[in-house]
Amino acid sequence: MALWCRGVQRILVDVRPIFSLFQTIGNTEYSSLSSVSRPEGLGSDEAKEAKTVEGHKPIVPLECRFVYPEFLPDPRLDHRNSLREKLERMDMLNRRAHIDIPEFYVGSILAVTSSNSHAPEKSSRFVGICIQRGGCGLRASFILRNVIDHQGVEMFYEMYSPVVQKIEVLRLEKRLDNELLYLRDALPEYSTFQLDMEPEFLPEGAPVPVNPIKVKLKPRPWLERWERQELKGVQDLGLPERFYKRAAEVARPWEKYDLMKEYRASIPAEEQEEIFVEVYSQLQQLEVMRKKMKRRRTFVRPKKMG
Amino acid sequence: MNCKGRMDSKFMLMADLLCDKAATTTAMLREKLKTCTVEYITNNFDVESIWLNVIMKRLSMWRNFPELMNVGRTFHTSSVCGHIIKLTRLRVVDNSEIGKQAMAEGKPPKCIHIYNKKGVGTIGDKVLVAVKGEKKKGIIVGVKQNQPSLIPKFDSNNVVLIDDTGTPLGTRIHVPIPQILRTILKEKNVVKGVDYTKLLALATRFV
Amino acid sequence: MNQADVSKLMSRLRIKYKPVRRRLKNPEGAEGRLKKIRKTLTALLKHERIELNYNRADETRGYAERLISDAIRYGDCHRATMELADYWILEKQLIHKLFKVLVPRFDNCPVSYTRMYRAPRPCPGMYYKRAVLELRGNPYPPLLPDMTANRNLIHNVLLDEAQKEFRAQKYAEIAKKLEAADDNVIKSIDDGDEESSSAESSGEDETNVLGEAQVQQPGEKVVHPSQNMQ
Repeated sequence: MALWCRGVQRILVDVRPIFSLFQTIGNTEYSSLSSVSRPEGLGSDEAKEAKTVEGHKPIVPLECRFVYPEFLPDPRLDHRNSLREKLERMDMLNRRAHIDIPEFYVGSILAVTSSNSHAPEKSSRFVGICIQRGGCGLRASFILRNVIDHQGVEMFYEMYSPVVQKIEVLRLEKRLDNELLYLRDALPEYSTFQLDMEPEFLPEGAPVPVNPIKVKLKPRPWLERWERQELKGVQDLGLPERFYKRAAEVARPWEKYDLMKEYRASIPAEEQEEIFVEVYSQLQQLEVMRKKMKRRRTFVRPKKMG
Repeated sequence: MNCKGRMDSKFMLMADLLCDKAATTTAMLREKLKTCTVEYITNNFDVESIWLNVIMKRLSMWRNFPELMNVGRTFHTSSVCGHIIKLTRLRVVDNSEIGKQAMAEGKPPKCIHIYNKKGVGTIGDKVLVAVKGEKKKGIIVGVKQNQPSLIPKFDSNNVVLIDDTGTPLGTRIHVPIPQILRTILKEKNVVKGVDYTKLLALATRFV
Repeated sequence: MNQADVSKLMSRLRIKYKPVRRRLKNPEGAEGRLKKIRKTLTALLKHERIELNYNRADETRGYAERLISDAIRYGDCHRATMELADYWILEKQLIHKLFKVLVPRFDNCPVSYTRMYRAPRPCPGMYYKRAVLELRGNPYPPLLPDMTANRNLIHNVLLDEAQKEFRAQKYAEIAKKLEAADDNVIKSIDDGDEESSSAESSGEDETNVLGEAQVQQPGEKVVHPSQNMQ
């Protein structure tokens, strides 16, 4: 009888796991591992960010969010619609199956071939440095800049537009800033790239190089107040003291501590993982297929000797 | 009457006048109060103390938040839209004599009329331009304004000088020209006696 | 442009937050707003339950959740997180409390770290909405009654019925096993071989069978008595 009662009680406890959790939280009995001290390293953020929650390892690599930033939705809460985002992601993958949209960053040099009904050849090719990337989903876009015949030209491309026929990365590299809009006010030599530039290949598996170049700007007037933005890729601006004083007065140093502001401008890690888990396997397949196609093209049949 | 409640606007005005100099001390204020005429006389409370209260509050606001005391003295500006309208300075990109001289002098041509229903010019619009004291017609071949996808945006507003029949005054255009100009100018050729295709023939490079 | 800024990884907030921040009128502007929220956040971490106006409570809640989630994600040896904690927490012994007390408390917590209740407004007085903001696991008695034990609530009614069904099922199984055991006993008695030994073994098996039936957790494989007998 006593055995029987104990057994029944145990069954009772098992049936209510959630409430027991709350009770233990309320009694402050809930204690798990003490805070594990993780090694400090400003560069090894990726290692730290892969925090294990009960032994859960991230399924997709953390670099996905930099390689495929347009798969992440617009962080504005008003603009979120999970169904639309899912459909957009499906469409994006469909488009990527037809055309190779390579990995590139702001500061990489691209050559884009697009169909142009106004041109006699019905297609046009533009080579330039990517100065800005924007948009989410199918509206993902980038701006290429080049100086042709001493005239600065910029082209705005939408990545997933069916008009775009080919995107080649001639030089894959990153710069010290996220946006290179200051190239408009820089000396033209920093934005000049040959239209017949040959693609430069990186060894397989190498990290994307960061170009630490510091650009020299033309004398004022400028399009924007560059001294007020924290630009790392620009040489010393050489302005009078009053500019820097005013910049300090106008600066908002508290914004870097504003936790909710940065949250509203970002997508949380769990959501990122959910999205990339959906999408990553297909992207990997496409990558693998592309590599195979490349190898096939470079294969040269051995010629008969004699 | 609750003297901590909202004060009359005239009180505030007088308090502002007294606070104009930020270095005013309490003693000086008391002196000034004695000489000021007090229009509002009431039974229940001490007018002087209320004035002092208001003035000290205003002073403290001035001392601690001087930027807030300029409320209402700013004005709103819109961002640069890069439209080509009347009096816009343009850059001549062909090798016509008059254009070269104007650009070399540092007196670029100014747009004085745009030949379309809206007073705003974009790529392919004909404009009337004042160059070196003369009126010349020109075609806009490149704008600084943000363009839709696949249409190039230039770092300067470029114009090619033409005459009334559409023949350009120069013999070569050394900057790149957008491809879309081909279509735009072809459509404009509808008008009799006008032929813009010569302009396209001068272009060295299309972007 | 309108792409998400993913240079920093942050945990998902488990509370509702508005798409646009509340400005929280302050003579110092945006900086003053953050200073005020800092004070409120420090007070929340210190007292673990505070009563204040609703709007400020809602703003602070977001910041509190973010700070705690960052502390859990990065730990106390991460420089950026320490700088954040240093900025947000005005009393420096509370930084120690955040990393040594609150992080272990909330480490595996699947729900939000704070709770907010609407509080009654003082009747003659400023008619602002009031709220009580508290950390989960605070030492004070709970503000709302614990509904988990009320047997008349629908979830408990359903759970109780489920328990009864389960128990009835288990009794039926036990009864079956007993019957089967009895039949076997009768069989062996009828056979006439090993009378005493079989009776003993059957008796032992009976108790065994009962004991196993009790110890088994729901969902585990049921061991049939016939197998045991062999």
